[in-house]
Amino acid sequence: MRRITRAIATLAVAVAAVSVARAEPQVQQRIDKRFAAGPRSEVPDFQRHVVPLMGKLGCNGRACHGSFQGQGGFRLSLFGYDFKMDYENLTKGDEAKDILPRVDTEFPEESLILEKATLTVPHRGGKRMDKGSWQYNVFLSWIRGGAPYLENGQRRKLQRLDVTPREIVFSRSGEKVQLRAVAHWETGEVEDVTPLCRFQTNDDQIAEISPDGLVTAKEAGDTHVVVFYDNGVVAIPVLRPVSDLVGDRYPAVPARTKVDELVIAKLKKLGIVPSEVCDDAEFLRRVKLDLTGTLPTPEEIRQFLADRSPDKRSRKIDELLRSPAYAAWWTQKLCDYTGLSDDALVNVVPRGVGRDASRDWYEWIYDRIARNVPYDKIVEGMVLAVSRAPGESYTDYCRAMSEIYRPGSQRRFSERPTLPHFWARRNFRQPEERVIGFAYSFLGLRIQCAQCHKHPFDQWSQDDFKQFAGFFTSVIASQNSSAPDARGEYDALLKKAGLDKKLRGNELRRKLASLLQDGKVVPFGEVYVRPVRSNARTNRKNNSKYVSSGPKAKLLGAEVVDLTRYDDPRKPLMEWLRRPDNPFFAKAFVNRVWASYFNVGLVNPPDDLNMANAPSNAALLDYLARGFIDSGFDMRWLHREILNSDTYQRSWVPNETNKHDERNFSRAIPRRLPAEVVYDALVQATGADEVVARMQTEMDGRAIALPNAGPRYARRNNGMAYALQVFGRSTRESNCDCDRTSDPSLLQVVFLQNDAAVYQMIDRKDGWLAQVAREHGWSFSPRRSSTLKRPANYERIVAAQRAKIAQLKKQGRKELAKQLAERLRAMLKRYGDPDAAKPQKGQGRSEADLSALVAQAYLRTVSRYPNDAELRRSVEYVKSAESPVDGLRDLLWALINTKEFIVNH
Amino acid sequence: MAISRTCDGMKRRDVLKVGAIGATGLTLANYLQWAQAGQVREGRAKAAIFINLTGGPSHMDTFDLKPNAPDEYRGEFKPIATNVPGIQICEHLPKLAQCMDKFAIIRGVSHTLAAHRLGQEYVNTGNRPLPSLEYPGYGSVVAKELPAPRELPPFVAIPNTNQRPGFLGVRYAPLNTGATPQPGRPFSVRGIALANGLTVAEVERRQSLLRDLDTAFRGFEKQDQLLDGLDRFTQQAYDMITSKKAREAFDISKEDPRFRELFGEDGFNQSCLLATRLVEAGVRFVTVTLGGWDTHRNNWETLKNRNLPTLDSGLAGLLRGLEAKGLLDSTTVFVTGEFGRTPKINQQRVGRDHYPRCMFMLLAGGGIRGGQVVGESNENATLPADGKGFSPDDVAASFYHTLGIDHHKEYHTSTGRPIMIVRHGNVIPQLFG
Repeated sequence: MRRITRAIATLAVAVAAVSVARAEPQVQQRIDKRFAAGPRSEVPDFQRHVVPLMGKLGCNGRACHGSFQGQGGFRLSLFGYDFKMDYENLTKGDEAKDILPRVDTEFPEESLILEKATLTVPHRGGKRMDKGSWQYNVFLSWIRGGAPYLENGQRRKLQRLDVTPREIVFSRSGEKVQLRAVAHWETGEVEDVTPLCRFQTNDDQIAEISPDGLVTAKEAGDTHVVVFYDNGVVAIPVLRPVSDLVGDRYPAVPARTKVDELVIAKLKKLGIVPSEVCDDAEFLRRVKLDLTGTLPTPEEIRQFLADRSPDKRSRKIDELLRSPAYAAWWTQKLCDYTGLSDDALVNVVPRGVGRDASRDWYEWIYDRIARNVPYDKIVEGMVLAVSRAPGESYTDYCRAMSEIYRPGSQRRFSERPTLPHFWARRNFRQPEERVIGFAYSFLGLRIQCAQCHKHPFDQWSQDDFKQFAGFFTSVIASQNSSAPDARGEYDALLKKAGLDKKLRGNELRRKLASLLQDGKVVPFGEVYVRPVRSNARTNRKNNSKYVSSGPKAKLLGAEVVDLTRYDDPRKPLMEWLRRPDNPFFAKAFVNRVWASYFNVGLVNPPDDLNMANAPSNAALLDYLARGFIDSGFDMRWLHREILNSDTYQRSWVPNETNKHDERNFSRAIPRRLPAEVVYDALVQATGADEVVARMQTEMDGRAIALPNAGPRYARRNNGMAYALQVFGRSTRESNCDCDRTSDPSLLQVVFLQNDAAVYQMIDRKDGWLAQVAREHGWSFSPRRSSTLKRPANYERIVAAQRAKIAQLKKQGRKELAKQLAERLRAMLKRYGDPDAAKPQKGQGRSEADLSALVAQAYLRTVSRYPNDAELRRSVEYVKSAESPVDGLRDLLWALINTKEFIVNH
Repeated sequence: MAISRTCDGMKRRDVLKVGAIGATGLTLANYLQWAQAGQVREGRAKAAIFINLTGGPSHMDTFDLKPNAPDEYRGEFKPIATNVPGIQICEHLPKLAQCMDKFAIIRGVSHTLAAHRLGQEYVNTGNRPLPSLEYPGYGSVVAKELPAPRELPPFVAIPNTNQRPGFLGVRYAPLNTGATPQPGRPFSVRGIALANGLTVAEVERRQSLLRDLDTAFRGFEKQDQLLDGLDRFTQQAYDMITSKKAREAFDISKEDPRFRELFGEDGFNQSCLLATRLVEAGVRFVTVTLGGWDTHRNNWETLKNRNLPTLDSGLAGLLRGLEAKGLLDSTTVFVTGEFGRTPKINQQRVGRDHYPRCMFMLLAGGGIRGGQVVGESNENATLPADGKGFSPDDVAASFYHTLGIDHHKEYHTSTGRPIMIVRHGNVIPQLFG
């Protein structure tokens, strides 16, 4: 332990030495020391001292003056950074409302901010500081100095915030380390701002941090402590090994790939030993579900287990990457991220023509993933989407779309160069909605906080939000007309189609649909761009407090762009996305892919790449993002790079050191299957062999390939829609990966255990049970689908009726026999045929035969062979059932209700 | 694992300490005044039934008639007296007129969302929809706040609902029955009833097989949240499926024939019957949906011949039925569509179009004083009389109040954002007067 503390001390010194060598030799002393003795002639700076200090004292928190209604007649911007508003609210009162200014430069000591905060006068927020404290002296000196605003009225830029030590490694609970934060301003000042920073721990079970930046070790594990000052946010890793297997004592763990190397490097620090690599059956099930959303088939498992070649896993990965199910499942995921939902696309295209905008969207992405089009190219097709292809006239565009929408047409929407539906969504019309949606989809950022206040965990201010919005104000999605340059063509098309110009809404769309059915060319809505002119002024329509429009816009965390230089203001945006130095674009995707394999992202939640939410393994995230960019945004490269690692292929079985690890990838974490995958897995596990085979190649009807989504779809009254909703398929409503959930719930279990939809799957005509019955010559009748209780003595009544009919026939009383037979048929239909399900005792079957069937059931569901105990129990159960069909039905039921089935492990 | 942080950097624990006084101090004080004067009763309902009239029912042709309005507004229906002097409703609601003393009409409810989906989201959550957040429906909040008996689902939708669990997560999703019950027939509800002729003995047999085979993670379950959760839900599901109580709650054929006579034979009426039975058994929240109110054309024909008679007997049956079972006081009934309809008649189509600025809602039971009209619309029912009226949020706040749920209570979304159950609403004290 002493060794480690000393190491930290050395590190701290070393870091300090570096920054001294690099920056100004003159680091301004801490403000609490400077003002400890009393007010001084130094006038504190509004941005550098006054606002941070108010933040530190909690004045601008949500429950206090940061509330949008203010508090006690005084409002500050939530978390600061709206300097203008804060300054005005401090220095100007409101006479009409009898509100005094909070700052009194004539009688500084009587300023309300001093009297309230020291509780000299009543203050609902209680005492925030003592009279004569350094905090008090700072405020007083600022007011005495005339309470000056920002120098030249300009916000100063914080170049960087250096926090030392850069990493903290504890060895025992209760150890302490003090953080030090030095601010480097663009204007040259360098100041130790530790007393002005806000501090936060990301996990107080592992490390606590005091308001002064003193970090205390708690339980073993790792987390970050975060330092906030101005718009600087710095996260410092804190870790404490969970075992004594550190340093030389750490066992030799081979690192087969670069991913493994980077993961093990972190595990080594933590004293966590990874689990073994999993067996072949576990690997096959895991990788196939993850990559293709599909269970392996029994035949596939047999072959894979029998294959003795050493590279069979990586060949399997390659094979799966070329399968249609891979394209379907990853299209589904991209549809999650990009917000495809029926609800958002209502009326984007004519209704009732057998295809819809959701299908267009899905197929457009599917086509590209199947061809492995680079990720940046796919995104470009969305970001730069317009309805017309290059060089296409409005009329040509409508002709092409009408052809795609003609029933029986061979043309596909996926042939269109771009995906304008992305911009036509009804929840993607306002510039602020677009900023939020775009940042969510392609940057993995939750910028929405900054719409109304400074982002609490990130660098973003309202200004950043407003200026970024400039890229989004010039795209128009017009539902019932063309771009202005083609209004004449639009009218001509209407006229040619014999449509009344005054028709609107549903009536128009109905007419259009019927014309499309007849193969006519009809006008379509259009997504187009209105170039930004240099004299652009605030467009009244977009006159929002959240958006600034004009000839310039600012990229997030990067430069200001003159939009008049571009015919489409989204072009510089796209250029920025694929720039190698873009800090979000590649990472956002890499991190989501990682999260879908490891239960948590390297940054988690995976769509929240804020600076305070630091990655659990920054080196690994950097490596993968860099590699993804260098590969030309090749998604298959990324999948291969991850899936071929030992890290991905580890067993879920934990050891003493890693049983609590859920964020450092030392073992596989059991994950509930995603909703679509659950549904398909049920269909496949219960389906006849030919169904299983078809599901591998044919995506039609697969839940993983379902284009329709959103609440509108969820309300449809069919088994699939209900199941998908219950299992938490993404609602794609709120720009959040959390719209999809894999939490378990009671209704999910009720569905699996007892829903008619599941019983119907097990008992369906093209199901496995029916197939087995057929193959063995067993009579097969589905469980009675009616809930009607059979009359008492039902079997006897049926038998008696049958005897009677036979007797009547014998007697030649055909008419009566026919009548009775009809009645009997009705009764059998209603209550089922007692003889059809007549037991055919399992005893008649050979043990070997039943064992093979049990093994089949296991392979179909949990993708492995049963062990001896399981085989014994299962065979015994089937044998003791009324009939083998009944026994196997229960076995299949039991297997799809195991945790092993519903979980990817 | 990082602990959940709120959008403003506070940890959950801190938020609980600070409470929600800040943003709502004034209204809270206001409310306390009423409460101290004994004018607002404490919430006492234990369950709720929400009747969703989807499509947007015309307020002027149902509960807010304007017999003196000019022809282009009035409509052809006449008002009739109710069993509460001074209150009149539409002539095609005779049964409800006879139990006016059991429910309150709120007139002049007003909002601005004239699209079905947005309006539905608003009236099913009590919060104006936001693009970056999905609010939970009433049923999900009630399911979270008022735990139900173990063997019953807390939230049942007949046959389905616009209410979704939103950011609360699938744990609080409704059980959709998927169908409406038929008179006198046992009702098979997805997952609950033992379908396909299964007997409890058979279920127990296969359950024991499941227990023997579900061993892959043995010994590790308690260490993993997901596995532990699956185990717990599996046990609960088994209890529910084999429970006589759950089965019988859905079996309307078990109901006394005299009680059944209170209800009509159609799906809506039978759903109302089922709702009373479910609440009696301990289900916390039931939604019943009656659609077909989007009367752009043939408004009066449709209402007269179909919607109003159905609603009249179903809702009247529900109120009388709850009273007969002694449940009216402990059950809140909330009836609403997503908006009203244009007071000015669409002469071309003999209909009325979407109109959110002036609508009605109904509340009954759970401590609501029946036999009163709260709020008022102006002379042609185009706006609330005072120009402001009530928002759906106010009615939502009042609704939660009947159940003893503090609508200012904060939840945290998975992104850490603090969200009140109903952010903008205030309890309407007159409802409880």
